[in-house]
Amino acid sequence: MPDKPIEGEKRVFMTGNEVVAWAALAAGAEIMYGYPITPQNEIMHYWTRLAPRYGREFLQTEDELSAGFTTCGGVLAGRKAFTATAGPGNTLMQEPMSMAEAMRLPTVVVIQQRGGPSTATVIYSQQEVTMTTLGGNGEGLRIVYSTANHQELFDYTIKAFNTAWKYRFPTFILGDGYQAKMRESLTIYDPDIRGIELVQAEPFLGKPGVPGVDRPPTQLRNTYNVEEELYEVLEGYFKDYEKIAPEVAEHEAFGLEDAELVVVSHGVVSRACKAAVKELREEGVRVGYFRPITLRPLPVKALRETAEKVGKFLVVESAQGQLARLLKEAAFGCPVEMLELFKPGVGITAEDVVSRVKEITG
Amino acid sequence: MAKAVKILLAGEGGQGVQSVAEIIAEAANEEGREALYIPNFGVEQRGGVSIAYLQIGDEPIGAPKFQTGDIVIALSDRAVHRTRQYVGPQTLFVYDSSIEGIDDALPTQAKKILPIPAIEVSKKELHPRVFNIVIMGAVIKATGVISVEDARNAIEKKLGYKFEKNPQLRELNFRALERGMELVAQLI
Repeated sequence: MPDKPIEGEKRVFMTGNEVVAWAALAAGAEIMYGYPITPQNEIMHYWTRLAPRYGREFLQTEDELSAGFTTCGGVLAGRKAFTATAGPGNTLMQEPMSMAEAMRLPTVVVIQQRGGPSTATVIYSQQEVTMTTLGGNGEGLRIVYSTANHQELFDYTIKAFNTAWKYRFPTFILGDGYQAKMRESLTIYDPDIRGIELVQAEPFLGKPGVPGVDRPPTQLRNTYNVEEELYEVLEGYFKDYEKIAPEVAEHEAFGLEDAELVVVSHGVVSRACKAAVKELREEGVRVGYFRPITLRPLPVKALRETAEKVGKFLVVESAQGQLARLLKEAAFGCPVEMLELFKPGVGITAEDVVSRVKEITG
Repeated sequence: MAKAVKILLAGEGGQGVQSVAEIIAEAANEEGREALYIPNFGVEQRGGVSIAYLQIGDEPIGAPKFQTGDIVIALSDRAVHRTRQYVGPQTLFVYDSSIEGIDDALPTQAKKILPIPAIEVSKKELHPRVFNIVIMGAVIKATGVISVEDARNAIEKKLGYKFEKNPQLRELNFRALERGMELVAQLI
């Protein structure tokens, strides 16, 4: 059996779903649990084809609730486990991921957003932002990377496993149907040759030593009898999350130095925004580009610094203001006006963004 | 820097528009250029018009879909109706000349409209199976996004396993590619 799924590095041309399967292999994922739903199906298809070649496993479950809980189970057993879903499947996934938050389980979930609410379209949207960042009956103790292209889909899927196992918060890759189904080039690589050290998984139970004597006892709970006990545990979690947030948060930006208006977007829509901002700047329009890569936690410091000095944000998304709501909270108190270009469930082109900016700047 | 060339192919399921888009995209990628191909998918794929969005350029491609194509190819009655919205003043609109009763539906704002007898040529001179390769020839002649040589290599890569069993198929496909190019060359 070949040891490494990818030797060295190579340029490939494939769909985003295939990219995720390769990245999960490269990241050392040991098992995928899943239930089919468009547009993420091919992640499962490629994984089931590739995994046996490298001694990895797959289990198809009866639904997404089960796929989520078995992913939790795989992680508890000390395995790098992941699942992938979309739309109504993501809705069901919130219940097990809420348990993952409660027990600080390093689950990895790949979401390929489709149209909503409900079954809606199997195609594309950015309407799963609220649910993926803040879903479940919890407090959003999770990490969400929103990718924009196939290279990032590969890079951040590998990173997601490391982030999850390092910080022990459920981690999500937020893609979409376009990224899932389109083909473009990228370089896939063995993480080793890029100096990426893979964080090792370890079992939660059966650690050496006597609990309470040689080491603190392992307590895996999602049920509490006393209010104060829950409160104490959560306070600890919030403190941990607050501490790691600046370390985890990522963004990209350009043209902020002289911008009067900054276009803010995430994921695949940021491709259109980047092209539009470049084109507008060439025409002399003082417009900038800001893109949070992590939607949870948001890059709050960079965002607030930008919001302090720029008069206007134009928030562009394929949803009715799901990113905008997160931004408004993060930039609360900053003197920035939030304008919008919302097209829920529909793709956004550079032409759309250019004409909206021109409408604003006159 | 030149902008990416935007190509939209539309036809009935089975006409092979998706495989044409994929072969061209892979050929461009092999040349080291940037290519992005996305099919329309969803319930539409069953019994609707099949659309392929293809962009080829020298810099990373922006949004996966676009509003206006540089070249729009419609291969059926319904495809003509469906693709009108992607036609602008700079668009080359190509459709199959055997499609009847669509005179009123043809876009009025296109830069140029080219009717080509691809269905007839593939049926009478070649084989209906290579219809999509005729279309591929038309696309590369009209856009110049990849060279003939690379187009041939891409076909070889995709269908080589079939050619090994039946070498005549290779000849048939390459002939189809050439005929497609000729059909467009006569008009532009």
